[in-house]
Amino acid sequence: MRKWPISLIVIAILLVAVVGIRTLKKEPLYHTQSYVFGTLVDISIYGEPEDRSKQLANQVMQDFQDLHNRLHAWKPISPNQPSELGALNAAFAKSSAPVPISPQLASILTDATNLYTKSNGLFNPAIGQLIGTWGFQNDEFGAIKIDDLKIRALVKANPRMIHIVVNNNTAYSTNPLVKVDLGGYAKGYALDLAADYLRKQNVKNALINIGGNIIAIGQHGDKPWRVGIQHPRKPAAIATLALADGWAIGTSGDYQRYFMLDGKRYCHIIDPRDGYPVQHTQAVTVLIPPQKNAGVLSDVASKPIFIAAIDDKPKTAAMLGIQYFMVIDQKSNIIVSSALAHKLEWLDPEVNNNSHVKLVTLP
Amino acid sequence: MLSSSRSHKPAFSHLLAGDWLTIILSAIIIAYLFQTLWSHEQAAKVQIRIGDKVHAAYDLNQQRDIIVHGAIGDAMIRIGQGKVRFAKSPCHNQYCVHQGWLNHNGQVAICLPNQVSLELIGAQKPYDSLNY
Repeated sequence: MRKWPISLIVIAILLVAVVGIRTLKKEPLYHTQSYVFGTLVDISIYGEPEDRSKQLANQVMQDFQDLHNRLHAWKPISPNQPSELGALNAAFAKSSAPVPISPQLASILTDATNLYTKSNGLFNPAIGQLIGTWGFQNDEFGAIKIDDLKIRALVKANPRMIHIVVNNNTAYSTNPLVKVDLGGYAKGYALDLAADYLRKQNVKNALINIGGNIIAIGQHGDKPWRVGIQHPRKPAAIATLALADGWAIGTSGDYQRYFMLDGKRYCHIIDPRDGYPVQHTQAVTVLIPPQKNAGVLSDVASKPIFIAAIDDKPKTAAMLGIQYFMVIDQKSNIIVSSALAHKLEWLDPEVNNNSHVKLVTLP
Repeated sequence: MLSSSRSHKPAFSHLLAGDWLTIILSAIIIAYLFQTLWSHEQAAKVQIRIGDKVHAAYDLNQQRDIIVHGAIGDAMIRIGQGKVRFAKSPCHNQYCVHQGWLNHNGQVAICLPNQVSLELIGAQKPYDSLNY
């Protein structure tokens, strides 16, 4: 009978090994995707029980849907019910009487106006009319007949963020052609909200991706989160980099929303100075160090750099306080700030021979 | 085993029920461990998502067309010996079709209007998420 304990010990050790390996092999990573904001939202949460991760991710998705309902520039919540922003835009067009707005929208408009000023007017969400004229305020858009007269009239009317007066949770516009489109702001804003929410819920590790804009919390196990940067003309990543805790990354490209007309590409990023889509740039990526509004900056800061002429791009980045940026111009030449170049791992074999990569240091 | 070595009698004949139990259980556990630890890396697959659900994953080493029902209609996904692409899509702009073939781990093609996405998955993911 003295054999029994030994047999049992052998079995027990083997069982412990089985359980241990199962635990080690099953990574505590929860991953979910959903279509919100008219785009793909992708959330990874690491190191939380699956039920909890699922519940938190669902809450984040629901918050995004709420934001979408409030901030969408052209999609009503239902046929007779415009979004909060839609109603405000209608009021701007009608008169210059102040209308009540939510504290949230008031703070967004104030913040967006500050960024407008900081970017010398290149980030100008007040040009919703122009964006609509080019057909981009639509789920399904295609080549349009370019209405040059209307475009010129809108550029001349020059609707700007500083025409909006926000006071005591009311707003009015001194320019009836102001139509706010937060397409270059809302996703970043949502990233900040989601990151704040998850941190408050004591989530230590998560990665949130809204339509390509990404913010990181903590890391992926014992390694930092890694993100790929999409090549603007290939179905592959051009480079990868580690996204450390609190960092955010965003790209503006001419490949996400565009149409072709007479062999020319017309993208959704419009230069407010001439009212035409930018045609000299394929993509601009910015990397934002941890700060309160890292998400917003990852969304907003790439736009002025995208719109600025190639030679003005480093200056524009410096003006916005952006150290980490990469530009891919229309000939697929790459201009990358040395600060960002240190962090990139190139995947595209064509980049590794370095013939079309230029390093710049900020002025 | 233990009983046989002590009694100097032919092996096996003196094994008790407990010994057999130990041997069988050990064999099962060892077989499990072997399978878990020595399993081969999975061949590259394509994961198809529709809306927020994983629809299916298919081995890339085949020639096959798959029809999936997206939010606005049927899309045709073509698998062709190690690569995959959107072959047909009901969406307006056809960005997904224009993306062409995907053949590397981590590559993604997304059709936003139809809410269908393709992602190439292998043993190792080159990155956690894609910035685009």
